[in-house]
Amino acid sequence: MPTISLTNLTKCYDGNTEPSVDQVSLTVEDGEFMCLLGPSGCGKTTILRMIAGIEHSTSGEIAVDDLVVDSVHQSCFIPPEQRRIGFVFQNYALWPHMTVERNVDFGLRLQKVPAQERKERCLDVMSKLRILEYADRYPSQLSGGQQQRVALARMLAVNPGILLLDEPLSNLDATLRLEMRAELRRLHQTFGTTIIFVSHDQWEAMTLANTIAVMNKGQLQQIGTPDEIYAEPCNRFVAEFIGNPKINIVDLKASAAEQVSLANHIRSRIATNEFTNVCAIRPEEIILTDTANANTLPMTIENIMPTGGSWVIELSFGDDRLFHSTQSRPKWREGEQVNAYLPTLSLHFFDQANNRLVLPETDLDYNHLLLNSASINQKHTNQPLAKQA
Amino acid sequence: MTILLTAAEQKKPNIWRRARHSFAVARHEPANLIGLVLAIFFAYLILAPVLSILVDSFIVQSGDEARTHQDEGSFTFYYIVRTLYSRISEILLWQPLYNTLAIAASTVVFSMSIGVVLAWLVNRTNMAGRAWFATALIVPFMLPTWTFALAWTTIFKNRTVGGQPGWLESLGITTSNSVAYGYFPIVFILVLHYTPLVILIVGNALRRLDSQMEDSARVLGAPSRTIAFSIVLPLIRPALMSAALLIFADCIGEFAVPYILGLPVRYDTLATGLYRALDTRQNGVAAVIAGVIMIIGVITLLIDVRMMKEARRFVTVGGKGNMDRLRKLGRMRLPASGFAGAFVLIGVVLPLLTLFLSTIMILPGRFTLENFTFDYWIGSNLDTVALRNGILLTPEFWQAAWNTIVIVGSSSMISGVLGLLVGYAVLRCSFKGVGAFLRQITFLPYLVPGIAFAAAFLSLFAVARGPIPALYGTPAILIIALVASKMPFASRSGIAAMTQLGKEPEEAARIAGANWFSRMTKIIIPIQAGPLATGILLPFISGIKGVSLFIILAIPSTDVLTTYSLRLLDYNYDQAANAVVLMIALIAWLGTVLIQKISGTGLAQGLEN
Ligand SMILES: Nc1ncnc2c1ncn2[C@@H]1O[C@H](COP(=O)(O)OP(=O)(O)O)[C@@H](O)[C@H]1O
Ligand SMILES: [Mg+2]
Repeated sequence: MPTISLTNLTKCYDGNTEPSVDQVSLTVEDGEFMCLLGPSGCGKTTILRMIAGIEHSTSGEIAVDDLVVDSVHQSCFIPPEQRRIGFVFQNYALWPHMTVERNVDFGLRLQKVPAQERKERCLDVMSKLRILEYADRYPSQLSGGQQQRVALARMLAVNPGILLLDEPLSNLDATLRLEMRAELRRLHQTFGTTIIFVSHDQWEAMTLANTIAVMNKGQLQQIGTPDEIYAEPCNRFVAEFIGNPKINIVDLKASAAEQVSLANHIRSRIATNEFTNVCAIRPEEIILTDTANANTLPMTIENIMPTGGSWVIELSFGDDRLFHSTQSRPKWREGEQVNAYLPTLSLHFFDQANNRLVLPETDLDYNHLLLNSASINQKHTNQPLAKQA
Repeated sequence: MTILLTAAEQKKPNIWRRARHSFAVARHEPANLIGLVLAIFFAYLILAPVLSILVDSFIVQSGDEARTHQDEGSFTFYYIVRTLYSRISEILLWQPLYNTLAIAASTVVFSMSIGVVLAWLVNRTNMAGRAWFATALIVPFMLPTWTFALAWTTIFKNRTVGGQPGWLESLGITTSNSVAYGYFPIVFILVLHYTPLVILIVGNALRRLDSQMEDSARVLGAPSRTIAFSIVLPLIRPALMSAALLIFADCIGEFAVPYILGLPVRYDTLATGLYRALDTRQNGVAAVIAGVIMIIGVITLLIDVRMMKEARRFVTVGGKGNMDRLRKLGRMRLPASGFAGAFVLIGVVLPLLTLFLSTIMILPGRFTLENFTFDYWIGSNLDTVALRNGILLTPEFWQAAWNTIVIVGSSSMISGVLGLLVGYAVLRCSFKGVGAFLRQITFLPYLVPGIAFAAAFLSLFAVARGPIPALYGTPAILIIALVASKMPFASRSGIAAMTQLGKEPEEAARIAGANWFSRMTKIIIPIQAGPLATGILLPFISGIKGVSLFIILAIPSTDVLTTYSLRLLDYNYDQAANAVVLMIALIAWLGTVLIQKISGTGLAQGLEN
């Protein structure tokens, strides 16, 4: 069964000094639906192109089902036409001089599939992707969404074990995106294909993939389920890249000891060690109450921004600014005072190298669990508790 | 389930492994092989002739042993000294160089002045008959330059040369040499021929110009004159410059017009001087002259590159402006059309009419009814010795026409396909050097005027060399010379077409499992059918109009229409010669119309390339 494994895969384009893909190692199991997520220019497309064989590696190894397809070490390279991996280009790359049907059955013709069977398989794929009615049109006569479905159908017709999709949703408008997202999920379930897709959009990645590999500057940052990546970002980049609105960052080194600041507040609550550099908390995990207690901080509401069904509230504490987001209509006005509580278990810590720092459990204070405010308790237990490794 | 392997520092693959891996990758990329083969092919086809001619200017040529007191083939400065410093260098080089530069410069100045005005009238004013003029004004560019030259001699020829007299002469008006031959008519004709090019290029720039820029100046209260000189002119300056350089370079290499209008009065340009040197078997001197022409070409190119770099600094993406808002000419509307009409009259109607009338008149310039006949077209049993029938009934004419179609047609086909392959190799080849080499070498013939190129081919392929037999006198030498001389255009359009196509359609085909041959035949060539057709037809037209390659490389058995008509001219069968020329113009015109039909892009874009 098709598994793909990349070992220390590196790509440096001719003329570039920095590698576009830097020592990436990961394994994609059979039937997995994986997303490579990262800002644009981080090397996602390059990885896909190398897996497909359109680009070759500079060092490292790519193996499909234990068959090495590209390795500098073994001086081996199998060209794309022999790899049987499906690839849907970001801008589809349909052949403009062929009708939709000819585009779809091109691969089957090359495989010399008998006409009858070819016809059937073509019709089957085209009807599954709902492009049957456009069979005789040319690509230029189709909308973006339709073109994308043709590009998908073209690959699915030859039934590849592995399907690579480059930014499958980013060229579509909002409604089409939802539709296509459902389409892809359905495809993954019905065909059982191993799918790797690329995205710079966390929404796309979170909603589609079983596994997400976060990348930055050519390097792999973290691999995990969407929940894992969200709840336990392994470094500051992942923490900041995932989540909307962005995670709040508090620089623990910044303020002087006597000042009233978030940094001092957090440091007073936990026994930080010398590696602790910054602390981060997701906006929705901040809890706002009217009642104050030992663990809450008085904050001012600076700004309330409705974002349609949810609200983003900008808070200030001394010179520090924090964002809070909530699904329930805020009962405060701008300029009013509230009490904010930052649950200790929701705090993420990162060291000087921006890697996740796990503080010893004894250093954490669990006083807040005894808080008498019922609302706080209820709210907090609803949150997925960050597991401590 | 996924595993994150620790990024253990793997041993860096050594150079040897890397090279073998690159080879494994390159093995599956046929563009590499194609690139290498093309590079070798063009090195032989283009670089070798050019080098051989440069080398020839330092090597004692056969027959010159006595003069140089050296053995044939030994190194000498004799030709350089003779051409540049001797007592006859004035005749050999300096006067022709002066004439050439004078002709080129004057042509640039006059065609730019007229062309810019006409471009403005056609594109930005409400001149009467604008749409019609937009096409009609371009026609002189589609006719071979020597059509005009022959029409000129038909009217103005005087007793300096033998043969049939000119019309004015027979009407009793003696034309002076300075009107009939030399600088004045040559410049006049080249201006007629190149003005349309200015109209095309500058017109395009004017159309792309965003009218909001002018509007902003107008809002600030600038008068029209200020707008024209401080807004519009600077913005279209790159277009003006490129038109000027293009014309200048073409004029340097122009052979046919000075050949017809300069030789009778020994008014030489570099191109005719080169021809004369070859004709009198002074190959060494010819090589030096060819070298001088190439140097001028290189200088022009360097200036062009430099200016393009400068122009890119303020390239604006315009075209949003409403360009249909035209300047009202008022009372000047009709005079403006009159000016454009006069250009069409002098540049199209008069030459073609003159040529046509000359083919149906027994005695030149006598406008009486019994003097008119269609014998020169379709007559039979005429009393002319070497041409007993009208040309349409003469087998040699059809043979020459057939030769033309076969030779020019196949060479255009070959250069079109090679151009596409060059584009393919340049963009796909894994070795950067090969791509750059191909790009530059295919552009090299642009710097070498046809006549010098033909001379180079003659010196290289006239005798058997290694596995290649002597090609002189065969159609093959004409075909490969034409292919080589058309490569600058062919490879540029091939590279442009492949750039525009991008890699992805082919990559998608690879993913689908297509081998190289299927990718070429089912994806690349079908998608590029349009550009390929244009890439074949445009060289075909310019090949048909060409003179210089044929006049040196063709022999009677490989007669093409141009050499056939020049030979008829030698026999003083002016009527028949002009009839052949008209047929050439007709073929060129039909070809252009065909391009327009196929590409749908219109003349302007097609010709501008
Ligand atoms: N053909 C190429 N030549 C040189 N550099 C390239 C090429 N393709 C991509 N790059 C560089 O590699 C990096 C990664 O590109 P890419 O994989 O396309 O990023 P992504 O798909 O994540 O947006 C970018 O910095 C880009 O500039
Ligand atoms: Mg990308």
